Amino acid sequence: MFAKEFLRDINKTSLLQCIVFLLAMCLFFALNSSAFISPINLCNILTASSVIGLMAVGATFVIASGCIDLAAASIMALSSVTCAWAAQNLHYDGLALVGIAVATGALCGLTSGFLINFTKAPSFIITLGMLSISRALAFILTGGIPIYGLEERVTKIAEMQWFGLSLPALIMLGGMLVGYLLLTRTRFGAHSLLLGDSQAASEAMGLRVPLLRLAIFVLAGCFSGLAGFIFMARTNSGDPSAGMNYELTVITAVVLGGANLFGGRATIFGTLAGVLCLGVLQNGLNLMAISTFYQTLFIGIVLILASLLRRFGPNNG
Amino acid sequence: MAELKLRAVKKMFGATTVLQDISVEFAGGTVTSIVGDNGAGKSTLCKTIAGVYHPDKGEIELGDLKLTHLGPHETREAGIEMIYQDLALAKQHDVISNLYFGREKTRFGFLDQKAMTENAQAVLETMGTKLPSLTKPVGLLSGGQQQAVAIARALLFSPRVLIMDEPTAALAAREIEHTLDLIKRLKERGLIVILISHRLNDVFAVSDRIIVLRSGMIVADKSVHETSMQEVVAQIMSA
Ligand SMILES: Nc1ncnc2c1ncn2[C@@H]1O[C@H](COP(=O)(O)OP(=O)(O)O)[C@@H](O)[C@H]1O
Ligand SMILES: [Mg+2]
Repeated sequence: MFAKEFLRDINKTSLLQCIVFLLAMCLFFALNSSAFISPINLCNILTASSVIGLMAVGATFVIASGCIDLAAASIMALSSVTCAWAAQNLHYDGLALVGIAVATGALCGLTSGFLINFTKAPSFIITLGMLSISRALAFILTGGIPIYGLEERVTKIAEMQWFGLSLPALIMLGGMLVGYLLLTRTRFGAHSLLLGDSQAASEAMGLRVPLLRLAIFVLAGCFSGLAGFIFMARTNSGDPSAGMNYELTVITAVVLGGANLFGGRATIFGTLAGVLCLGVLQNGLNLMAISTFYQTLFIGIVLILASLLRRFGPNNG
Repeated sequence: MAELKLRAVKKMFGATTVLQDISVEFAGGTVTSIVGDNGAGKSTLCKTIAGVYHPDKGEIELGDLKLTHLGPHETREAGIEMIYQDLALAKQHDVISNLYFGREKTRFGFLDQKAMTENAQAVLETMGTKLPSLTKPVGLLSGGQQQAVAIARALLFSPRVLIMDEPTAALAAREIEHTLDLIKRLKERGLIVILISHRLNDVFAVSDRIIVLRSGMIVADKSVHETSMQEVVAQIMSA
């Protein structure tokens, strides 16, 4: 079932370049560090990519529909805070915490979507506002001090493992699967892509554009919320400064994967490949003990290189 | 066959009146052409019928159904299809996605790609439309092929009313013939066909009735046998 569509995606987007790039990087790091290729390290890459990966699934829908969500990371931080607060003060755990985090994200997404519809302003502006507001709320709720020292039953969530994969990695892969099914198999996904291709045509063809956009931002909010839950479990804290600048990393991942930043074209395979590119880069540079200053430099270089590669692909656009 | 009726329809964009007091009825099994100079309000009139715009005053009805406040979703449900001047295609999407734009077939809640592909192939075949590929982005097709996709989409769900805004603008001579034949066949099937065209030759070849629009008002409305090309040109141009 995946194979055929995978091939079609390769044809349709710059996914192939992204995968070639990913493999080239893996080869480079494998040659430079013997630890890189070990199964444990590869699982680590997935775990370390889980927060970005979940946000990237939501961002795939937003970008597919022709919008940009700059608030994703702030919403993630706010969700990690509300979630940690509920764990500490209400003694919630497990699914109830997931519920709190996802509900926080959904509410923020709903607000963004509503405001974009209501003001008809570019999503760029509205979500820039929501970036500030949700980050500020996270700081106000905590007084600027991360909520630490969560009970063990909360922190052990991040350490659970199945088939050698951590729970965060599994949740991320599960999120990718859900995103894949929604984007390729449902009218909602098809309409998201059509909206991003041409809003005027979507309106003329009777798509309920405001409702659709609202749903897309709520979905993206849910994924940010879930990412916030993972962040909380992994760091054992609700941190108002969690994931500073991650919103750009997320957009980088989606665009690396071949999505059209202006909408109409995006795939979950591409997003996964883009997320892994960034994860592999960071992991490999860590193993080679290269400082984080250089890592940021390399992310920029990778993005620009990928754009260059794309000019020589099966469809350059 | 139900009639499409407009009663005293007025449409404004900001402070400018684009349609004034438009009252007109369209009958099934006839082709009505709307002609007029650039900016006369032809596209606006059709988009108002299709529900893209809503009249500021007046009523629109199809049979017993009031269309005045309905959007494109509901007017399409009611059987009104419009071929837009700019075609309203999703250029990065393939032919199938465009044919089923907003009306995707589902099975157990999931898209039924197989049924859509098969049905699309059948419909294109009966229309005699030949396209190089159903999986290529529509933006990579020629202008004529894109127009064929827009026409096929309008006919896919057997509409009762077909509005065509400059459907032959991007076509070559042979494709124009093809489209005019199609219009005649649709008329025989009892559809209400509304045609906007700059090409008076086409208009006179297929229409039963010609309406001249000037500055948002109907200045002439005659059966094709009662008028002539010279008269229509004069009505379009006269100040
Ligand atoms: N969306 C719009 N907003 C404002 N003015 C418009 C809009 N659409 C059309 N107009 C104006 O309405 C008038 C009629 O336009 P239109 O219906 O496109 O004419 P036609 O199709 O006969 O060439 C023109 O003066 C045009 O500038
Ligand atoms: Mg026009």
